[in-house]
Amino acid sequence: MAEKQKLIEIKNLKQYFPVGHGQVIKAVDGVTFDIYKGETLGLVGESGCGKSTTGRTIIGLYQATDGEVLFNGVSVHAKKSSQELKELKRKMQMIFQDPYASLNPRMTVADIIAEGIDIHGLAKTKEERMKRVYELLETVGLNREHANRYPHEFSGGQRQRIGIARALAVEPEFIIADEPISALDVSIQAQVVNLMKKLQREKGLTYLFIAHDLSMVKYISDRIGVMYFGKMVELAEAEELYRNPIHPYTKALLSAIPLPDPETERVRRRTVYDPSQHNYKEGELLEFREITPGHFVLCSEEEYKKYKAMYS
Amino acid sequence: MEKLLEVKDLQVSFQTYGGEVQAVRGVSFHLNKGETLAIVGESGSGKSVTSQTIMRLIPTPPGKIKSGQIIFNGEDLAKKTDKEMEAIRGKDIGMIFQDPMTSLNPTMKVGHQIMEVLIKHLKMDKAAAKERAIELLRLVGIPMPEKRVNQYPHEFSGGMRQRAMIAVALASNPKLLIADEPTTALDVTIQAQILELMKDLQKKMGTSIIFITHDLGVVANVADRVAVMYAGKIVEMGTVDEIFYDPRHPYTWGLLASMPSLDSDDKAELAAIPGTPPDLTNPPKGDAFAPRNPYAMKIDFELEPPMFKISDTHYAATWLLHPDAPKVEPPEAVKKRLRQLSSNYPQPVIVKESE
Repeated sequence: MAEKQKLIEIKNLKQYFPVGHGQVIKAVDGVTFDIYKGETLGLVGESGCGKSTTGRTIIGLYQATDGEVLFNGVSVHAKKSSQELKELKRKMQMIFQDPYASLNPRMTVADIIAEGIDIHGLAKTKEERMKRVYELLETVGLNREHANRYPHEFSGGQRQRIGIARALAVEPEFIIADEPISALDVSIQAQVVNLMKKLQREKGLTYLFIAHDLSMVKYISDRIGVMYFGKMVELAEAEELYRNPIHPYTKALLSAIPLPDPETERVRRRTVYDPSQHNYKEGELLEFREITPGHFVLCSEEEYKKYKAMYS
Repeated sequence: MEKLLEVKDLQVSFQTYGGEVQAVRGVSFHLNKGETLAIVGESGSGKSVTSQTIMRLIPTPPGKIKSGQIIFNGEDLAKKTDKEMEAIRGKDIGMIFQDPMTSLNPTMKVGHQIMEVLIKHLKMDKAAAKERAIELLRLVGIPMPEKRVNQYPHEFSGGMRQRAMIAVALASNPKLLIADEPTTALDVTIQAQILELMKDLQKKMGTSIIFITHDLGVVANVADRVAVMYAGKIVEMGTVDEIFYDPRHPYTWGLLASMPSLDSDDKAELAAIPGTPPDLTNPPKGDAFAPRNPYAMKIDFELEPPMFKISDTHYAATWLLHPDAPKVEPPEAVKKRLRQLSSNYPQPVIVKESE
């Protein structure tokens, strides 16, 4: 990335869900970050931390409670004409976790892939439509004989490829991949990740890669954001985050990953994160602050000074 | 060391409309007292069927134990009737499943599900069983067990449910615990807690564990020995060090190489294993892994490789270990792991059929 151009800007995004009795769940609670053109931003955290909700709100599957998402400078959630909305939706696509649940079992693979092409009128004739489908199938490593089959005839890895082909069909610029490999076997995970990287190189795609498998996230991402209870607690370049984690939660998370090496496993010490360890005072302002260039941590003024002294 | 379980040449098939699926095709292994054996492999490799056959949880029909023995405590489980198995299942052998939401009964209080085991197998009365249930919940690290014992599974979080299931499985002090992907659905931090809990309980109770997983990080963490399964067969088996520092089978190499490593900033393409596992209705001739194996030789497509013994504890079924086989270099990512292990024989030895 010679020149970092912001593709997505997320500003103080909040997504609350009412759960009755006047209570709300703050699934995403004031998250701010940018995604640059052509990069892969990894988003990690435990289940319930709001990483998937963040992804779904960015793409407009939920109406944000507060805050803003700008795609190429245009707000995703602002009122738009249906034409503008359609155009925006074409540029952002999503790949889902469960390749079994996200493909309509009653549609053939060709129809699943071509649905977006039909909606956006990207093919003028039937022949052109099928040609696109065949191309897409080949791009994701399937072959044209697969076009007339149904999803149940495919393995998990193949289905995920169909999901990727469907997302690519409308030539998006930005793809949100919500745990795209979690349901797959190890050897198949590597195939899908290699495919995603190849497509990124060829088409200049930008990814938001949501996952809880940290080693795969590190491998695919340029930068990684760590979420905890609806807030982003740390954001840094992938390598930097693993080498110099600053926020205690990130440290705890990294120390919990079992590595495929029996010797390190025998001596591994896990650190446990306790939110009360910060000893924040009543009403203390927590902000996302830059400790070293490009490395942001959610911290108080006091912690900021401490981190600054320790790490730079 | 004392053997608790010995599986000999187990073959399990399922009758389907598409023909007979040979899910397990001749699996032999043993498990010592107090040890943890990890079974690794992709979905469809037969690892879950193997463990469910030990528990005799395979529905028959369509499933069928075609041959083989499962010697547990000196008795052959493969020959037991359903009625006889009821006395063993849940008592001598406990099982933990991947998804605690579907394996705990949603209409029963968690405490009752633990008490059920105690009352049936240990013949406790209700009051004593309840007390023990609270104790067990405390043992598996559930806070406020007196309150939790009267709650339903939906009131528990995922990690708590998995702990509750471990409490159910351990209630009768089983000699063998079969854990089928117990942490796959959990977050890493919760996974780490559950693994620590299982190891801790194993130390206290001396339980033997069969741990089924596809996560090699988890294997390195929990296992004493590892069996790698592919297409219904064990292709490599050894101590955890032998499998991670001296792997011999190309499939094990493939598994190890397809994982990105956390401590390197290497962004080279991952060494994915191409293709997909074979269809076990018509298992391929020769070595089932051959079509996906970059090291496959002509003989791999013709004749099934025999088991070679690399040390007293290390076995691998690949023609590459044959004295006539050409020397090959394992993938880069695997080469970095290799170490010279002193326990190895000077030359791999073919294991004879009769052994």
